[in-house]
Amino acid sequence: MTLEQLAADDGRPPAGSAGVGPAALQAAGLVKRFGATLALDDLTIQVAPGEVRALLGENGSGKSTLIKILAGYHVPDAGTVRVHGTELATGSPETSAALGLRFVHQNLGLVPSLTVAENLCLVGGYAMRFGTIQERKTRVVVREELARLSLDLDPRRRVDELSPAEQTGVAAARALRGITGEETAGGAAVLVLDEPTANLPESEVTRLLGIVRSVAAGGTAVIYVTHRLEEVNAIADSVTILRDGREVLTSLGSVNQQSMLHHMLGVELEQADARPMPAPGTPDGAAGPLLSVDGLVGERLGGVSLHVAPGEIVGVSGITGSGREEIVGSVFGAVDRLRGRVVIDKQVIKPRRPDLAIAAGAAFVPASRERGGGFMELSGRENLSIGSIGAFWRWPSLRLAKERANARDWFERLRVRPAGTQESPLSSFSGGNQQKIVFAKWLQRKPRVFLLEEPTQGVDVGTKAFLHQQLRDAAGAGAAILISSSDNEELVSLCHRVLVMRDGRIGAELRGEELTNSQLSFHSLGLAKETSDHGA
Amino acid sequence: MAHDRRRISLGLDRFSGLYIWALFIVIFAVWQPQLFPTMATVHSIASEQSIVAILALATLIPLTAGCYDLSVGSTINFSCVVVTILQTNQGWGMWPAIIAALVVGVVIGALNGLFVVVLGINSFIATLGMATIVGAFQTIVSGDNDPLPVSGASWLDLTQRTIVGGFQIVFLYLIVLALILWWALERTPAGRYLYAIGGNSEAARLTGVKTGKWTWLSLVASGTLAAVGGVFYASLLGPSLTFGQGMLLPTFAAAFLGSTQFKPGRFNVWGTMVAVYVLATGVKGLQLVTGVQWLNDMFNGVALIAAVGFAVWRQRAAKSKRVRASVPSADSAPGPVGDPAGKGGPDTLPMEPGDRVTSPLSLCPDLADHSRQAPHTGTPPFPTGTGAARTARGRRPRPAGRAQPGATPAPGSGRRSPVRCAQTTSTISA
Repeated sequence: MTLEQLAADDGRPPAGSAGVGPAALQAAGLVKRFGATLALDDLTIQVAPGEVRALLGENGSGKSTLIKILAGYHVPDAGTVRVHGTELATGSPETSAALGLRFVHQNLGLVPSLTVAENLCLVGGYAMRFGTIQERKTRVVVREELARLSLDLDPRRRVDELSPAEQTGVAAARALRGITGEETAGGAAVLVLDEPTANLPESEVTRLLGIVRSVAAGGTAVIYVTHRLEEVNAIADSVTILRDGREVLTSLGSVNQQSMLHHMLGVELEQADARPMPAPGTPDGAAGPLLSVDGLVGERLGGVSLHVAPGEIVGVSGITGSGREEIVGSVFGAVDRLRGRVVIDKQVIKPRRPDLAIAAGAAFVPASRERGGGFMELSGRENLSIGSIGAFWRWPSLRLAKERANARDWFERLRVRPAGTQESPLSSFSGGNQQKIVFAKWLQRKPRVFLLEEPTQGVDVGTKAFLHQQLRDAAGAGAAILISSSDNEELVSLCHRVLVMRDGRIGAELRGEELTNSQLSFHSLGLAKETSDHGA
Repeated sequence: MAHDRRRISLGLDRFSGLYIWALFIVIFAVWQPQLFPTMATVHSIASEQSIVAILALATLIPLTAGCYDLSVGSTINFSCVVVTILQTNQGWGMWPAIIAALVVGVVIGALNGLFVVVLGINSFIATLGMATIVGAFQTIVSGDNDPLPVSGASWLDLTQRTIVGGFQIVFLYLIVLALILWWALERTPAGRYLYAIGGNSEAARLTGVKTGKWTWLSLVASGTLAAVGGVFYASLLGPSLTFGQGMLLPTFAAAFLGSTQFKPGRFNVWGTMVAVYVLATGVKGLQLVTGVQWLNDMFNGVALIAAVGFAVWRQRAAKSKRVRASVPSADSAPGPVGDPAGKGGPDTLPMEPGDRVTSPLSLCPDLADHSRQAPHTGTPPFPTGTGAARTARGRRPRPAGRAQPGATPAPGSGRRSPVRCAQTTSTISA
């Protein structure tokens, strides 16, 4: 454990020093094991009232496990959590909330069509008299609560009319309900903000940081989870960095971004980062691209151009909100695009026309199986054949025997488990097997262009390797593959090159030697300039 | 043991309608041995219910695609009035009048499709409005006077001619129509597309299904079939200005009851047919026993709620059994903190978009649900978790930690019309 103590230089009182009053939050010796994985390994963290603590760490570093323990959803295998000196009975959300631990998640949990006041009053209720809501009094109360967070909002406004930062503020105000006045003075509240800025445009971030400062000024301890290193020093009094379930750095002052990154990624990672295996197949550049995208503009895309040659696997990386989530769906037509030209196998694809893209030879696996990938109540067989049902149709009837044989064949080929359950509804399969069925739906069409979002999300390791091999084989057979993924390892092991998205544009393109986990992280966070000369 | 239980429950679930039918027949045969178990009873039930059954088939088509057509009641009535008035007042021949009535049905269906598909109006609203408009046209055309019945042997023979076994020919028409619809839904790509759209219209679109076209066609088909029913009604029973709306509940009841039969969880032709006739048998038997006026309505309503309630309960029990079997560890503890299936995204605390249940049994016209539908663009990908966490949370209303997928509406996300078809996907908010 490295401990760097750097003086806070922005005039804020130094906070978080142990011994100055009781800590708002004190977790000691937390251990949590999931099967063979050690998610938290003797983690200790202490936050003072009024302190804003940034919590950093890569995916899988233990941040969310810690938060879930605080929220009462995991029982740690060892260790204790004290809130303002009172020990938390872990595993009980109610106790957690009663002790003043409050959470604002990335998905804020607001009802967009209700007003600010109505949203706030979902928690803690309205000002009432004789069983009737006192509108005026409610508004006054709500206004006061918002003002405490420096939010000057009309409680009668609908939440979906607010800016994203204001919405986050409303969610924070709601989370802090019931911890007001005298209790706050006692410093009983701890507010956990989980990646509040992930989806905020740059201009909104500043606004939100102001709101967070106001929360802290009221004596509330804030744990601020973020991936945006550049905002850490602007917002946080102190920083804790986790890696592999351990605390690798706690600094009670600002830390420079390079240092944060080194602690997040670990030095040894640099060497272990060699690519597990070279991507197979030789991209056939001479044949011209199978997939061409020019000047793609979307909700979060500010003009993206890319080309994928036959046999090439191209990855798209980037932090949440960088445009990574939108680009593939926008190319396929799942979501709208405002401007830009997409050509698949020499055919121009109009916006929002997946049928045209499919006709041109494209396959699309969306990030959400539930929403766009599968038909949960239809059988495995029906899910498999919906995309190529014409192949089984010969007047006057669908050839059901042929269709069943085909389904059985694909179930065996992709080793869908349980075996021989083609007639069971998709919802009865595990996530990995559902994903195999979604893949099989497309593989049997022999697509020329694969457009994939988070293709192995929620899939176990074995299935993941298996699906990767399917993609390598497809590329080997001349398909062009575009994958957006938040899983850097997946991109590194699978792709010939990876485009790193940054604020809606391609910030960097990594290939060959420079395509490593840590380089992807560096570039995603926009810190590549200092460490690499390949920034775009 | 387990095998035994499954066999028994399968039988009760999927064929409960047949068992109840047999039970009705035995009970009433014993109760009223002179009146009930006669061919006359069989023939009268078969003919009387043919029209309701045809209308039930009409409602069934858009329901498979997740759309309501509430205008079928008005359409069948209007078609009946049109085909009658054209013959009695305008002196048209039988066939031109029939064709005109069918065209009316096609036009109504096409307009419904226009409103639902092109304008993006919720099908529940669009067809409800259409029902009223058609009712207004009926008043204009008829002048609110009961039209005179058409005389002429060929017109009456159209439906009343007796065929083998003493059945009236209208029953044969019903069988033929049911066979055609069964074929279309179960044995053609069109049927697959409709069920896919009803199951998950976004997934259908992303698989290349032209969802708009098929939804539209399903509404045209239901309008046309309702018009066919109107022609048959006019020939079989004579014109009436008021029967249509009264047929709406029995037809929807039959379609929903039918979705608990044979292929549970799915609207299907034979389930609907059985539902119509089981209900009719029960009503007929009770009428022979008591003869009170309110029986029909009471029986239909109670049977609908009881049967669908039973099916929902069975489905839920089956699902929670499945879920319990697949829960890996304490890692799946439910709660507002989010999906604990860390596989999805170990470092985020995603809130579930809600438990999407895709089945006719949950097909409620929940308008609020559509306004809450997640904007398709700009939301972070939801790591898909285990069904365990979702289901458990779906049953536990938690206002404080309620998952609201649309909570962060991104600018421009309204492009996707929030109020569309009453889809078969409804969200049990977590």
